[in-house]
Amino acid sequence: MSLAAAGPSWLIAQFPAPLGALQHRGRCDIPRSPIPTGNVSFREHSPPVRRIIGIVLAILLVGGVVVAVVAGRTDGDAGTATKTVQGVIGSEKAEFFADPDVVKALAAKGYTVKAETSGSWAMEGLDLKGYDFALPSSQAPAVELAQKYKVRGTLPRPFYSPLVVVAHRSAAEVLAGNGLATLDGRSRGTLDMGAYLDAARAGRTWQQLKGAGKYGELGGTLYISSTDPESSNSGALYLAATSYVANGGKVVASDADVARTAPLLKKLVSVQGTQQTSTDASFRDFVSGVGNPLVLVYESQVASLLAGGQQPGDLVVLYPDTTVNSDHTVVPLTENGRALAELLSSDPELRRLLVRHGFRPQGAATAFGSADAHLKQELTGVRQAPVPTSAVLHELARRATGDDK
Amino acid sequence: MRRALTCALAAVALLAGCTAGEEEAKGSDPNALHVLASSELSDMEPILERVGADLGVPVELSYVGTLDAVDRLAKGKADGRFDAVWLSSNDYLRLRPEAARKIVSETTVMASPVALGVKPATLRELGWNPADVTWSQVEKAVADGKLTYGMTDPSRSNSGFSTLISVASALSGAQSALTDADIAEATPRLKEFFQGQKLTSGSSGWLATAYRRRGNVDALLNYESVLKGIPGLTVIRPRDGVVTADYPLSTLASADATDRDTVRRLGEALRSPEIQREITERTHRRPVVAGVAPAAGLDTSRRRELPFPGSRSVADGLLDSYENELRRPSRTVYVLDTSGSMEGERLDGLKAALTDLTGDFREREEVTLMPFGSDVKSVRTHVVDPADPRSGLDAIKKDTAGLEADGDTAVYTSLEKAYGELGADEDTFTSIVLMTDGENTAGADADEFDDFYERLDGTARQIPVFPILFGDSDRSELEHIADLTGGRLFDAQQGSLDGAFEEIRGYQ
Repeated sequence: MSLAAAGPSWLIAQFPAPLGALQHRGRCDIPRSPIPTGNVSFREHSPPVRRIIGIVLAILLVGGVVVAVVAGRTDGDAGTATKTVQGVIGSEKAEFFADPDVVKALAAKGYTVKAETSGSWAMEGLDLKGYDFALPSSQAPAVELAQKYKVRGTLPRPFYSPLVVVAHRSAAEVLAGNGLATLDGRSRGTLDMGAYLDAARAGRTWQQLKGAGKYGELGGTLYISSTDPESSNSGALYLAATSYVANGGKVVASDADVARTAPLLKKLVSVQGTQQTSTDASFRDFVSGVGNPLVLVYESQVASLLAGGQQPGDLVVLYPDTTVNSDHTVVPLTENGRALAELLSSDPELRRLLVRHGFRPQGAATAFGSADAHLKQELTGVRQAPVPTSAVLHELARRATGDDK
Repeated sequence: MRRALTCALAAVALLAGCTAGEEEAKGSDPNALHVLASSELSDMEPILERVGADLGVPVELSYVGTLDAVDRLAKGKADGRFDAVWLSSNDYLRLRPEAARKIVSETTVMASPVALGVKPATLRELGWNPADVTWSQVEKAVADGKLTYGMTDPSRSNSGFSTLISVASALSGAQSALTDADIAEATPRLKEFFQGQKLTSGSSGWLATAYRRRGNVDALLNYESVLKGIPGLTVIRPRDGVVTADYPLSTLASADATDRDTVRRLGEALRSPEIQREITERTHRRPVVAGVAPAAGLDTSRRRELPFPGSRSVADGLLDSYENELRRPSRTVYVLDTSGSMEGERLDGLKAALTDLTGDFREREEVTLMPFGSDVKSVRTHVVDPADPRSGLDAIKKDTAGLEADGDTAVYTSLEKAYGELGADEDTFTSIVLMTDGENTAGADADEFDDFYERLDGTARQIPVFPILFGDSDRSELEHIADLTGGRLFDAQQGSLDGAFEEIRGYQ
């Protein structure tokens, strides 16, 4: 992924964003910005910092306009001609939009969707003139795009997927035998993030865990493989979850919090060496039987594989007891785009099909993972960590990766 | 694209060397998908042909080494020329942000771990159980003089690079990603380990050929997929860990929307169960789709994955110490045609290429310049002394500048004298490079050289000649020399003299 160029574009902007959290104060060269200048002293900053402030401002702007926009409905007129809706989507949703049943369900509502795939962060580099919508895999790039294309109103988040850890049974059982996880049946369990971080802090190796000796692949430092937090969404969200736990169950907000948690985060990242830049790649490595024993992926990737009837082998899904969700967020660029977002949020058939592809629809509980022993139907016992502000998360990612590339 | 295609054909027909040049791609078929690819992927061509036909878009691969590919991406030289990059691994690419930035999405297609392929007889002598072998055992066997092996050059070949990382990680005892300190500590052990390397190569294909020809090398280090394709090797994935290639098909940001979508469809097609099955059956790589089992003979027990270094300084530092310190040095005689026909542009080109090459010579390397016309004109040997590398390199440059064109072309007589210069030497990678712009017109003829070669002793017969096709030289004549001596022909008629010299470095 070419995200280094996009700077901190993956950052999740928290609302309300405490601008002074990191004393990142800068000249705001964004036009029409109703920023409360109050006690902010102006100083020149590097572009990334300015950009963060840009994001924060966008949130303030968007957040200020609390209008629930409901798209014009097309109910009932599923007649002959359909409207073509063109969009750019994260690649993990390509299979969903290509599914003949999805095409049929959309046609029944009068729409044909033509979707081009792109990394969520690369969307910013594309010219979306003539497109009806963009659908990145989390809120932050959506907010960036909304700002760029002056999209007003709340951005719809029709579905989401939590981050989980996949393991082979050998590794899962060793973790369970050493108090790092509890298993709920043979294919599902909960990862104790506190215990895991203690082990990581101590530089614990697999060889030091009871019962690991009989598995040749369990050697070296115990760690979860995650993607590059400076370029990939899931890698950044991993830091959000771990920093929250390391900070004693409080979201990292102050300089002191950053200073307290950064050394551990650096450890979590540096032991991994080069990181993948997409969760697809990490998951494929896992599926092919190579790679690290513990890999952070989206639940939707596992669910989609299972729903496709593929044999998962001895895969175990470990839900971290503290995790973060990936919120798939629509940026409607036209009325048709907005109508599509509305359909994805409300149409029962499309919501059923979303589940088939491993996504969890927002709102009312739609049966999820009911037939499968790998997945939790309800995310009970899984705490959602709040995501730090953009500025803070960017700083955490910077410190975790070091500047030695 | 035409040049790349010519090269591909040449490679198939003649085993001629060929690197993706500056001007290829976006040529013959504007509708084709142009992919900058690791040379190891040439075994995918039949599959790509079929998948391309199904997609209605031909897929054209231009082959290049990983480091070279990363460098081109970083310098923007792939922009507009290629739609995608397909390397054995993007690990090294990620260490160069300016290259990583050129990629918008990646599709992992298949996987193959680094492994050790051992002759069954050696395996019996060592008393190894293939399932339990560790890198430390391999190291011990090397130290005891019971195991020799060949591997590809880490600077030119991804398989060599991954092998180097695997060995360094395992022998350093590092529990996580390698650091400079780990490498420093492991250096004495690594030095000993690489004493066992008796064969080097710029490509996996020639490595296998040279291994068969030599007959006295016990093992090869390469990707499992390559080793599985060589009959008679027992393939071992060491228990203490390996580095795995995962072949990400990567879309370039500079490609237009249609081409990006074609790359996506190609990736999707390559991951269909049917094609995944074909990939594993044909190429011995491992599928990345659940429900498709690895081909028979690919052991499914798991191995620890050794992390790839997370910083460029560690990766480059390891490469540097391999070339200049860890590996056995090379000893090369450059037999250079300076006959009358070289006068002018050709001689200038040769001087420029040789002068450039001095930037690439390694510490401890021994270089002999042997210019010839009607006979050998002079024999000058220089050593790149680690204590003072400058003086050796300067001397090579000075000799190069003094080259003059005159006389006939005594190819074979000069080659015989080159063999005479190179005695039996077990501690270096010894080879002869022959550059000529014309046919043999003086001294010994081809038959006489054949007789001469037949009479050489066993050690000398292991010294390969790497002829360079240049100017008006005769392909069949040079090809015969390469075949006879176990070398390989490099083509500077299609490509450049600099390119040929540079490519031969991987074999020295």
